[in-house]
Amino acid sequence: MTGSRKWPEHLDPVVEEFRACFDAMERYELLFDYAKMHPSALPQEEWNDNNQVHGCQSRAHVICSVDESGRFLLRGGADAQIVQGLMAVTAIAVNGMDLADVAEMEPDYAEAMGIRSSLTPSRANGFLNMFKRVREEAALLQ
Amino acid sequence: MALDIEAIRADFPILGRTLPNGKKLVYFDNAATSQKPQCVIDAMSRYYEEYNSNAHRANHTLADEATTALESAREKISSYFGTSPDQMIYTSGATEAINLVAYGWARENLDEGDVVVLTEMEHHADIVPWQQMSIDKGVEVRYVPIDTESFTLDMDAFEVALDGASLVCVVHTSNVLGVRNPVEKIVKMSHSVGARVLIDCAQGAPHERIDFDSLGADFVAISAHKMAGPTGIGCILVKRDAMAEMGPFMTGGSMIKRVTTEGSTFQEGHAMFETGTPRIAEAIGWGAAVEWLDQFDMREVHDHINDVASWTAAQMMDIPGIKIYGDPDRDDSSGAVSFLHESIQSQDLALLLDEGGFAVRTGHHCAQPLMDALGVPSTNRASFWIYNTMGEAESFVEYLSQVIERFA
Repeated sequence: MTGSRKWPEHLDPVVEEFRACFDAMERYELLFDYAKMHPSALPQEEWNDNNQVHGCQSRAHVICSVDESGRFLLRGGADAQIVQGLMAVTAIAVNGMDLADVAEMEPDYAEAMGIRSSLTPSRANGFLNMFKRVREEAALLQ
Repeated sequence: MALDIEAIRADFPILGRTLPNGKKLVYFDNAATSQKPQCVIDAMSRYYEEYNSNAHRANHTLADEATTALESAREKISSYFGTSPDQMIYTSGATEAINLVAYGWARENLDEGDVVVLTEMEHHADIVPWQQMSIDKGVEVRYVPIDTESFTLDMDAFEVALDGASLVCVVHTSNVLGVRNPVEKIVKMSHSVGARVLIDCAQGAPHERIDFDSLGADFVAISAHKMAGPTGIGCILVKRDAMAEMGPFMTGGSMIKRVTTEGSTFQEGHAMFETGTPRIAEAIGWGAAVEWLDQFDMREVHDHINDVASWTAAQMMDIPGIKIYGDPDRDDSSGAVSFLHESIQSQDLALLLDEGGFAVRTGHHCAQPLMDALGVPSTNRASFWIYNTMGEAESFVEYLSQVIERFA
């Protein structure tokens, strides 16, 4: 993470891909694609009350852990494809990162991607609550 | 005389707005809250600009003007609902109105084992206070189921549930299904077993003229903001004999006769239940709203809303994957069209519709027991009101079809 950017460099191509979209609908379409390509999706069988992210209009679940090399691993799932897509992008960002860096990350990559609606309080609850939980769990795992 | 929808729309400045993405607003979230006509906005602004003062408390000119406006609004509103000002208690909305029945009437009059009858169709505002009363006082809460084929109350089950009931609480019109319940029949049946009746008219009042005295219910809860009035105000209409059985709920200033260090005595009638500084601007705004609504024949208003809603629902049923919850085709349906798509999750669909400028509601609509009965966690809901046009409905159906074709 350098300069004013609060997301890891390896997320830049993803952010650029979203920025290059023609309009919001194309960005949503891309998010739906990312939802399907989630690198560490949490299957519905593993969704339970303990890993549910509360305060969301949609159902969202995350499990945060440390991989074999001691780095952060986010597994997550949501019934809303837009939240699932944002979760997938977040997993691309945080998986393999140092725990301390994850604990300090900001969610501004979503804004940079042009997903305006993901950041307003009433709707962003799905994404922002998920992000907050990821950051808190990264701090606890340190 | 047919409604002049364009003239009506001209009264609502917000309907002309453009969203940040350049799309024109199409507001289909009226069951959550209606928009406000300019006269309501002006009445509230005028109060703050010209005579803002606390009511009932001082002898100066501004206080006198504010008190007169507050009480004049009570007269207008109670008259609009077919009753007299002494049977109307201002509340913060329908939720507080129902809580006032629970804590002001039921706490004083019900004991362990007494029966409160609810329905699966109720808003949480008409469920949770009774669950709390069950915990606090040991009252038994019974739920009348809905028929999930017709989306109406199971009236046979209602009759069975009435046995030994002390209080019956029923929603006039479902905020999810748009279904209007047979409230006149419910009041009669409930009274025949000696039960008091509370009708939640939060959704009913924007769609038909509620006449409290002829309806005969003991309590009617109403919310201003769904019928062109401001947020933060509503009322409970209470029959005089029922009000006489009520004890204080919220206590403090205004509702007392005399306070000493040993104790307090209370005002009588509605004044006992209106604690603290009244919602003066809101009451004035609501008074302006009922004056505005009073120019229309509510039967015509209902028919217009029903035409737009039933046409929209019929068109939506032709879109592959869409399921409608409720029966908007019924003559008494209120204009709420709940729906789901088989593969596009409801929150996703709402965000995609928002990109087109269409404001619809998503979620459990504060009616989770109803969602459980329907077997779904949430629905999308388009809800129509007096200013919505067939043109808006046509553009909605067209856009929804495009979204589904692209994302399903």
